[in-house]
Amino acid sequence: MATSLTSRKVAAADAASVPPRRSRVDTTFYLFLIPSLVLFTLVITLPAVMGIFYSFTDSIGFGEFEFVGFINYIVMFSDPAILGSYAFTIGFSLVTVLVVNAAAFLLAIGLTSKIRAKTALRTVFVMPMVVSGIIIAFVFNFLFSNSLPRLGAALGSDLLSQSILANPDLAWTAIVFVTAWQAIPATMLIYIAGIVAIPGEVYEAASLDGASPARQLVSITLPLVAGYVLINMVLGFKNYLNAYDIIVGLTDGGPGTATRSVAMTIFSGFTGGDYAYQMANAVIFFLIAVALAMLQLRLTRGKVSV
Amino acid sequence: MLTSQSSAPSEPTRRAFLAGAGIAGAGLALSGCTAGPGTDEITFYQSKPEVIGYFSDLVERFSTDRPAVRVSHDSTSNLSGGFVRSSPPDLGCLNYNFEVARFVDRGALTDLSDLPAAQRINPDLQPLIELTANYPGRTSVLPYSLMMASVLYNREIFAEHDLDVPTTWPELIEVCDTLADAGITPIYSTFADPWTVGQGLFDYSVGGMVDVTDFFTRLRQQGTDVGPDSPVSFQKDFAEPVQRMLTLAAYSNDDATSRGYGDGNLAFAGGQAAMYLQGPWALTEIAKLDETVDVGAFPLPMTDSADDLRVRVNVDLALWIPEMSSQQDEARELLTYLMQPEVINAYNEFANGFGVTTDAPDVSNPTLQELQPFYDDAAFYLGATQLIPQSIPVHNYAQALVTGSDPDQILRTLDADWARLAFRS
Repeated sequence: MATSLTSRKVAAADAASVPPRRSRVDTTFYLFLIPSLVLFTLVITLPAVMGIFYSFTDSIGFGEFEFVGFINYIVMFSDPAILGSYAFTIGFSLVTVLVVNAAAFLLAIGLTSKIRAKTALRTVFVMPMVVSGIIIAFVFNFLFSNSLPRLGAALGSDLLSQSILANPDLAWTAIVFVTAWQAIPATMLIYIAGIVAIPGEVYEAASLDGASPARQLVSITLPLVAGYVLINMVLGFKNYLNAYDIIVGLTDGGPGTATRSVAMTIFSGFTGGDYAYQMANAVIFFLIAVALAMLQLRLTRGKVSV
Repeated sequence: MLTSQSSAPSEPTRRAFLAGAGIAGAGLALSGCTAGPGTDEITFYQSKPEVIGYFSDLVERFSTDRPAVRVSHDSTSNLSGGFVRSSPPDLGCLNYNFEVARFVDRGALTDLSDLPAAQRINPDLQPLIELTANYPGRTSVLPYSLMMASVLYNREIFAEHDLDVPTTWPELIEVCDTLADAGITPIYSTFADPWTVGQGLFDYSVGGMVDVTDFFTRLRQQGTDVGPDSPVSFQKDFAEPVQRMLTLAAYSNDDATSRGYGDGNLAFAGGQAAMYLQGPWALTEIAKLDETVDVGAFPLPMTDSADDLRVRVNVDLALWIPEMSSQQDEARELLTYLMQPEVINAYNEFANGFGVTTDAPDVSNPTLQELQPFYDDAAFYLGATQLIPQSIPVHNYAQALVTGSDPDQILRTLDADWARLAFRS
C-alpha cells in the first residue's frame, strides 16, 4: 500500500511536466523477491508437493514404489498409535497454552508495576528462553528421576517417591511443566510490551476517579491487552502442536506410548522405513496447521493494532 | 529508482563481482560433484560407535597394501539419505536390522554368493539372516560379527550365597527369592530406556519359551488375518512369556522405572545387584567402571527343562554392497580383505563377538565362554523385537508392560498393529 501511495504522489507531482504514464512498479523490487522465492520454492514448496505425492504410494524413501491410492489415509484414521498421538498432542497443547498464558500474564503485571530491581528481575525471568530445549529437558529429566523421588521419599509420599516420568498417567504433567518453564518468558515479553504500550494518562484518570488497582486491572489493562492475549494463545497453541525436543529429552514418548507427539510419530517414519505412511500423517497435520493459521488471521484481523 | 541514481562506473564492477562470485560458487559445487566417479575412491560405511577407531586402522592397513584403491571411511552420513540420492556407500558394514532389511527387500544390494568368503559362513546362521530379510536368489549380506546376549551375573555374589547358575524356571525363581531374602537386588532393570526392556526381559522371556523363527514365519503367512481367532497371534503365543516376564520384573530394583542404560552399567559394576539382562556390549562399559568385577553369563531359563535353554543373538555387523555402487570390484576387494580369517577373527575377539565363519575360533572372553556351548549347538534365536518392523513401537510396548499396563491389551494392540501393517504393505 505504501508503495502505490508514493508512486501515485510522484505521478501527481510529475503530471505537469511529463505526460501521465500507467504507474509501473520498478522491476528492481521483483529482483529483491527472487532469492527468497527461489529458496522457499526449493526447500519448502517443492519437498511439500513431493511429500504429498509420496503419501499416495508405498515408497520407503527410495527404490521402486507403487501407487496405493488412499490406503495410507484410510489406515491412518484407524491406527490407535496415530490417533493417540493426536489426542495427546492436542490435549497437551491446550493445557500448556492456558498454563503459559496465565503465568506469563501475572508475571508481566508484576514486572511492569513499580517494584524494586525491575530490570534485574526481568533478566532473571527471561533466562530460560536462551537455553536450548533439549538441554532443559535433560536437566529436568535428572531432577524428575532423581531429586524429586528422593524428596518424595523423605516426605513419605508414595506418589512422589516414584519418578513421575515413569507414570503413564502423570508423565504429561512433567512435559507441560517443562514446556511452560521454557515458553513463559517469550509470552511474558509480549504481554510486557502490550502493557507498557497502554498510555499512562488512562491510569492517571482512573486513579483520579478513585478506581482501585484491581479495578484498573480488570477494566483497563485486560481489555487493552486483549489482542495480545489472542496472539499469544493462537501462536502458542500452534507451537505446542509441534512439540518434539522437550518430549524426546524427558520421556522419549514413554512410558509405553503415553507421551508420543504427532511430530515424533511423523519423524519415526523416516527412521523406521515407513516414509509414505507418515507422509500421509504429515499431510493431515499440515491441513490442521493451515486451518489454525486461517483461524488466527480471522480472529486477529484489526485487533492487533489496539 | 535506486538503480537509476547509482553512478555509471560502479555498476559494471558490482555486476562483474557478483558474476565472478557466482561462477566461483558454481565451480566449487561442480568440483564437489565430480570427485566421486573416475577415481578409484570407495566409501566404506561403518557407524558402530565403539569400533570406529578400530575400523579406521583396518582401512588404513588395507590402503597401504593396495595403494591403487583409496578408501574413505564414513561413519556419520544418513544411510537412507544416501540411497535416496542414489549415492549409497560402496561397502556397508552395519548392524543387520530392519534398516538394512529394507535395502535387501527392495533388491538394492548385490548378490555376493560367488565370493569365496560366502562359502565360509556358518550355515547355522543362514536361517536367521533369511528370517530378517531375503531377496530371492541372492546372498545380499555376509554376516561379520554375532552378538550373544543373555543374563549377566555377578559371580562373587552368586558364590557368597552358594548359588548355582539356574537352568530351569523354578530354579531361577529360587535364586531370585534367596537373593531378595538376603537383601540383595536380584535383577537390575533400567525401564527408563525402552530398548533395554525390549532386548532384555521381553526378548529373553519370549525367546526362552517360543520358537521365534517358527512363530514369525507362520505369523507372516497369516497376512492381515491376525487377531484373537487366528491360529497364531501375539495375544495367544506371547501371553504366557509375558506373564513370566512380569513375574521376573518384580524382582527388580525399586527405582527401575527411572533408571537408564548408563545407570544400569554403573550399578551392576558397583555390585548393587546380582543379575543384569544385557548383551556383551555392556561388558566393555562395566569393565571401564570396575575391571575387577567378575561377570558370568547364562541364558534366561523360562521353562522346566534345561534342554530349552537358548541365547538371544543378533548379527551385530554384516557386509553388503549396493547395486548402485559404481566401484563394485574395489568394494569386493575390500570386503574380501575384511573377511580374511586373521582380520575377522581379530575383530570379533576385540569386540566380544562370536565368529560367523566355520573356521572361527572359540571366544576368549571369560564371561562369554559360558555361552560357547550354546553357540556350538546353534541353540540361539533372534529377538522378537528384531523381527517386528520398526513402525510398530514394540520397545515402548515392552516398557508399558513393565510400568503397569494391561498385558492383554498391549498384546492385542500388537496384533492390531501387525494386521494394519500387513494391510497397507
